[in-house]
Amino acid sequence: MLKFIIPTIMLMPLTWLSKNNFIWVNTTIHSLLISFTSLLLLNQFNDNSLNYSLTFFSDSLSAPLLMLTMWLLPLTLMASQSHLTKEPLTRKKLYITMLITLQTLLIMTFTATELIMFYITFESTLIPTLIIITRWGNQPERLNAGLYFLFYTLMGSLPLLVALTYLQNTLGSLNFLLLQYWAQPLPISWSNTLMWLAYMMAFLVKMPLYGLHLWLPKAHVEAPIAGSMVLAAVLLKLGGYGMLRITSILSPMTEHMAHPFLVLSLWGMIMTSSICLRQTDLKSLIAYSSVSHMALVITAALIQTPWSYMGATALMIAHGLTSSMLFCLANSNYERTHSRTMILARGLQIFLPLMTTWWLLACLANLALPPTINLIGELLVITSTFSWSNLTIILMAMNILITALYSLYMLITTQRGKHSHHINNLTPSFTREHTLMALHIIPLLLLSLNPKIILGFLY
Amino acid sequence: MNPFISIMLLSTLILSTMIVTISSHWLFAWIGLEMNMMAIIPIMMKKPTPRATEASTKYFLTQATASALLMLAIIINLMYSSQWTIMKLFNPTASILMTMALAIKLGLAPFHFWVPEVTQGIPLTTGLILLTWQKLAPISILYQISPSINLHLMVTMSFLSILIGGWGGLNQTQLRKIMAYSSIAHMGWMTTILLYNPSLTMLNLLIYIIMTFTMFTLLAQNSTTTTLLLSQTWNTMPIMTTFTMLTLLSMGGLPPLTGFMPKWMIIQELTKNESLLLPTLMAITALLNLYFYMRLAYSTALTLFPSTNNMKMKWQFYPTKQMTLLPTAIVLSTMLLPLTPMFFILL
Repeated sequence: MLKFIIPTIMLMPLTWLSKNNFIWVNTTIHSLLISFTSLLLLNQFNDNSLNYSLTFFSDSLSAPLLMLTMWLLPLTLMASQSHLTKEPLTRKKLYITMLITLQTLLIMTFTATELIMFYITFESTLIPTLIIITRWGNQPERLNAGLYFLFYTLMGSLPLLVALTYLQNTLGSLNFLLLQYWAQPLPISWSNTLMWLAYMMAFLVKMPLYGLHLWLPKAHVEAPIAGSMVLAAVLLKLGGYGMLRITSILSPMTEHMAHPFLVLSLWGMIMTSSICLRQTDLKSLIAYSSVSHMALVITAALIQTPWSYMGATALMIAHGLTSSMLFCLANSNYERTHSRTMILARGLQIFLPLMTTWWLLACLANLALPPTINLIGELLVITSTFSWSNLTIILMAMNILITALYSLYMLITTQRGKHSHHINNLTPSFTREHTLMALHIIPLLLLSLNPKIILGFLY
Repeated sequence: MNPFISIMLLSTLILSTMIVTISSHWLFAWIGLEMNMMAIIPIMMKKPTPRATEASTKYFLTQATASALLMLAIIINLMYSSQWTIMKLFNPTASILMTMALAIKLGLAPFHFWVPEVTQGIPLTTGLILLTWQKLAPISILYQISPSINLHLMVTMSFLSILIGGWGGLNQTQLRKIMAYSSIAHMGWMTTILLYNPSLTMLNLLIYIIMTFTMFTLLAQNSTTTTLLLSQTWNTMPIMTTFTMLTLLSMGGLPPLTGFMPKWMIIQELTKNESLLLPTLMAITALLNLYFYMRLAYSTALTLFPSTNNMKMKWQFYPTKQMTLLPTAIVLSTMLLPLTPMFFILL
């Protein structure tokens, strides 16, 4: 695993020592090369994991997430080029350094064996993200957004630390590979209820669960583009990854405890999708769409069937790529009109036709069109929740409908219809933006040819 | 101050703490504590303003009361054990009295009221001595009597300190008061673990001293004592803003910075001793502390505070103030977490 971590750390001297007009080129190319090395992880065994050392391992769940993380760094660097042009050189390098630090910590989180190591790196990802949101965001609301983000996550994760140390004292080790075999069934009692809550709240806040999702629209909207991309694509998946890992040691308590959270996620998914239909702010729409998709992942992780785990993993990867692409598209609008209001830049198909292609593909992926992996994820989750309780099919069907509605609403408002008058002199799309969108959508489409690699460890 | 007097006072200060830590006779330790108090009061009065006089008087009164209580506890211990050796105490009354006396000396809640007032009235470097060096002597005595301390009293006082240190600092803009409330909260963390594993108290004290030293030295570079003044550091020394932010986040206990290490170790030790609710509550209450550190970090590093027109871009001269040990302290207070196993030498 050091073959990923050390090159990523070394991207930092690369940033600081490159020539002035080469910082973007160097970092993007080198991070792209590093992301190609992560494809080595595709060689996964079925029943066990690749154990690189005592500290790092990778199995079929963490490998696709790791690939997603590493793929996203060059994309975030490409997306940030434009809004940082006016900054002094040191600040550009600082920004890139924050992204690289975040990347290193995310790699270490997804591959950590020892659960306390996972916790430490999980918490450490907060600091670079906070700095990116607060220092480089654009509106005064970003201060509040940073505080909400930091404190919601910390409130949830401090009980996790206590619970993990308790588990270490009880079982003797927190090495995840051993825990899978050592874990005793958890009897139902009040103290075990509190312990289950301590484990899960950290990840539920991160996902986010519907009642605890207040930080997400703030953080996503106020963050600069790289921050939004990384937040939506990877940081939310940390919660999902944590849940999928920790539920394996928490059974059978989960069947008893999961009901309120299942209700919250199922209802929340409808609520947040519906609120998308009433959003005027484009980034806010995509943020609420993220909450809705993640609610599906929470539902899948909590009902703990093989199909639901596969659906959760597939959904996480699919949503990561789709949501990141949507944020990039929203950013391309923002850079031209300096406003996130959707109706200010409408009818763009006349002016930027190729960008419309990317908008179309992103919105179609968002509404889970066959044969994308979004559909595979959603279908597996819907089927497994149907088998858990027949009534959920009503909620799921409503969700699919409303998701389709808002995705197409977003597409039609921005692309179709009569254009607004003031966008006559829009700057044409850059090749960099087209590359960015292509690099998002091509993995998404290619994965629909072989979705086996993202279906997680229960395939 | 006249250099001779300065040398005499500083050497008395250092000597007194050494006396307290190495003595095995209760009377000698008490004398050390008295010398400590006597030596620091003229240092606090370097500039004889009314505010400094008020701070010194408050300090004197509280510390003298504490010393009197301490002497009472020593005598009661003498009555019940007929010997003056510093070891565990032989009487619960003596133990409770001594714990309260040392709590007054340290500034643990509910005896914390003097800490913000005194810290605010004295110059920054003296405040540094007050909040770091002055804690060494009482903690060394607490370490030695730790087997006989009443658990309920200690845990109550420490949890109350964490609460009050967190809540009290929320409404402050004066940096010295903020550091005082931070000191109260950190003392709370330190004394929680005293009865379970005193070496963790020492670890926490060491890390706290390093972080507070870093913080005060950074503040003293710009001679800033209010949040407003701190927000101007981007103008004069931009790199200090990064260091201030990192040190503040470290004091708040965020991984991967050093400040996470004592909290993590304390939580681990407490869960080993089957108390699970207490570390959870302590950790969550420490978030209050993090909130006002974050506020300082925002105003220093993460936003550009508005400044008056004639202050727009200051000439960045080489700093004339001595940055004693600042780079070392910054590195130690932000990057020490991977070296956690090293602190087993404290055991």
